[in-house]
Amino acid sequence: MSRCDFKIVLLGSEHVGKTSLVLRFVNCRFNAEIPYQNTVGAAFCAKAMRSKEKDYSIGIWDTAGSERYEAMTRIYYRGAHAAIICYEPSSHESWTRLRHWLHELRTVEDSCKVYLCGTKKDLLDGGFVKREVAEEIVNTYSQDLNGHFLTSSKTGENVDELFQKIVDDLAADVEVMKTVTESRLLLTELDKRKSKKDVCAC
Amino acid sequence: MASTSNDNVPQHMNAPENASDELEPGACHDSILNPTDSFEEFASEMSSSLRETCLTTKSSTISEIQSEILETAEDPKLKAAKSSDDLQTKDGSMSASASNSNLIEENGDDTDDDKDYLQSPELVNKEKHVFILSTAGKPIYSRYGNEDKLAGLCGVIQALVSVIEEQNQDILRFINTKDCKAVFLVKGPLILVAVSKSNESETQLVLQLTYAFNQIVSLLTLTQLNRIFEQRRNYDLRRLLAGAERLIDHLLVFMEKDPAFLLGAVRCLPLPEKARENITNAITTTCHKIRDLVFAIMIAGNQLITLVRMKKYTLHPSDIHLLFNLIRSSESFKTAESWTPICLPKFDATGFLHGHVSYISEDCQACLLLLTVQRDAFTTLSQAKHTIAEKMRRANCLVAINNALNRNEELSTTKPLKHIGIPEIRHFMYKCKSTAQLFSSDPISLDRLQDYRLRHKEGGDIVDKKITKLSDIDYVRNYRKFCNQIHCVATPAKLIFRSSSQDTILSWVTNGFELYVTFDPLMEKDHAIKAVDRLLRWIKKEEERIFIMNAPTF
Repeated sequence: MSRCDFKIVLLGSEHVGKTSLVLRFVNCRFNAEIPYQNTVGAAFCAKAMRSKEKDYSIGIWDTAGSERYEAMTRIYYRGAHAAIICYEPSSHESWTRLRHWLHELRTVEDSCKVYLCGTKKDLLDGGFVKREVAEEIVNTYSQDLNGHFLTSSKTGENVDELFQKIVDDLAADVEVMKTVTESRLLLTELDKRKSKKDVCAC
Repeated sequence: MASTSNDNVPQHMNAPENASDELEPGACHDSILNPTDSFEEFASEMSSSLRETCLTTKSSTISEIQSEILETAEDPKLKAAKSSDDLQTKDGSMSASASNSNLIEENGDDTDDDKDYLQSPELVNKEKHVFILSTAGKPIYSRYGNEDKLAGLCGVIQALVSVIEEQNQDILRFINTKDCKAVFLVKGPLILVAVSKSNESETQLVLQLTYAFNQIVSLLTLTQLNRIFEQRRNYDLRRLLAGAERLIDHLLVFMEKDPAFLLGAVRCLPLPEKARENITNAITTTCHKIRDLVFAIMIAGNQLITLVRMKKYTLHPSDIHLLFNLIRSSESFKTAESWTPICLPKFDATGFLHGHVSYISEDCQACLLLLTVQRDAFTTLSQAKHTIAEKMRRANCLVAINNALNRNEELSTTKPLKHIGIPEIRHFMYKCKSTAQLFSSDPISLDRLQDYRLRHKEGGDIVDKKITKLSDIDYVRNYRKFCNQIHCVATPAKLIFRSSSQDTILSWVTNGFELYVTFDPLMEKDHAIKAVDRLLRWIKKEEERIFIMNAPTF
């Protein structure tokens, strides 16, 4: 059972910058010195957030983009409340993979909210890379989804906004909040029982 | 000036052994590791016949554990859910990779550029090349250069192997030239080749290739690897190995430098007995109720701190080496808790264990691995980890680990040669056979490996430089020949004493241990024997610190 209220999973092909996005959001930093290294399996981070004066803890699963882990990724998005699918506007290939994830999520986790996230905005703005994925296509796709953000983990642009929107959306969702309240209750119940047991054992 | 004695070990050499029924330093009755010989691997490799190169796997240890747990599970619903879950994902993984394989474009056109490329500075004058290709001749990995441009070379390798296989019904093992050895290993759907100008023997090279193969199995499982190539012989495995070249790169460097591979043993982080006990207790008291947990392993700087296991199961040193390599080569474990499938080829090559991997805390670079057969156990294990870290902090274990890692001068194990007080000994390494653990006078420090790797990235070239002061890496390099003679299958040596103008090296193997010592040159035999005697007594005295002397279970 998870101790986090909301489970958010990051998907997307390798090298689009999922880990950098999480590190920017959770630790507020971006290290340009560290060379790229692929994520092994999946990494988990938790962070406390506020929405409408209420506190929530969110758990973020940063999955590996490598194809090797594709079959495994299902473990990570099972039961996720929200998914961020990342792509690089300058890589058509990453966009093709995004459609794969979208399809996968729709069939396996249809209640999961889906957000698109274009990464490395700074490179695009600075003219270091050329856009390969047309904005119109992205807009058409994101219409049916819960949101689209173009972010830069280097400058931090739009990163907090993305996660804030997700938490706001989830907190406003009656169905989601019902399960959150239930599991919170269950956890406190369990904790109580556990601490009682511990006392007895001594 | 080498003298080798096969049978008649001088009487007095046995002195430290026959002191009553005392065990040799480091030995204990229960071992967490399978006692092994790295050379056994080679022997079994060499005895394989042509037909057996198609790898078949025996029963799966992982499913054995799963069914055992399920038998005792009270909830029958859970039982059904679990087993079907496994089937689904196994099939799922295959259909995913199979469908992808259809998308691959063929790129096998060799041109004349290939030949020029073989002469490029990226490839010439390297001490050791390693190539991995599929039996269909598709390049998978090259230690140097770009394997894409090596399609021609891979074609030649594949042709060599298959001609000998088909026309002579034989296996191509080595090609030796004046200054170079080429060693071939065909394993299942893969061909692995090492081309080396180093002083490593064919045996040692085969062992390294086996490790490289196991590294790939560890990422994919043998089942998946075999199935991929059964379905599509021409599959480009690099798709599935994306990002994993790094692991093979690091492993190759690690194997050349660390005696752990030469000896088939694991190095432990020297710790006060009490500290290690506290760490082990923190793990056992926290985890004894987590039923699917198979191993809890704590490591720091390529050294083992403790290993707690499920009853009946032990680990092979080679599996631990792969875990060391994974941890050391992956930055992503440092920033967050990770949950990843890991296959341990010696433990069970057919399936994945699921690993919770995390560092104990920001101020202590010890890494904890919790390996389970249950894929949904992340939250449970994450909580367990935090409890363990908390208990360790309260028992002051983090300080003890940091002292050992920072090589605090006050510890006798930091500079053992100073403590032993035999000035003629320049370097030694000792392996306790029954527990597969090793200790050496100067553990190869991680920083130095890092350094080496940086230099290696640029080079790996053969250089003729005058070595003025030997590093620990150079000592280990010198022991290779001796190690090989001691493990020679036809005429194994028990004791070798060789003096040269540079140094005197003694290597000695008994039923219980292997010992390699480098002395000053002109060291006389009986003087050396006395020194070894004192050395062994020191190791015995310190054994509780430098070795793990028990085999805790959950």
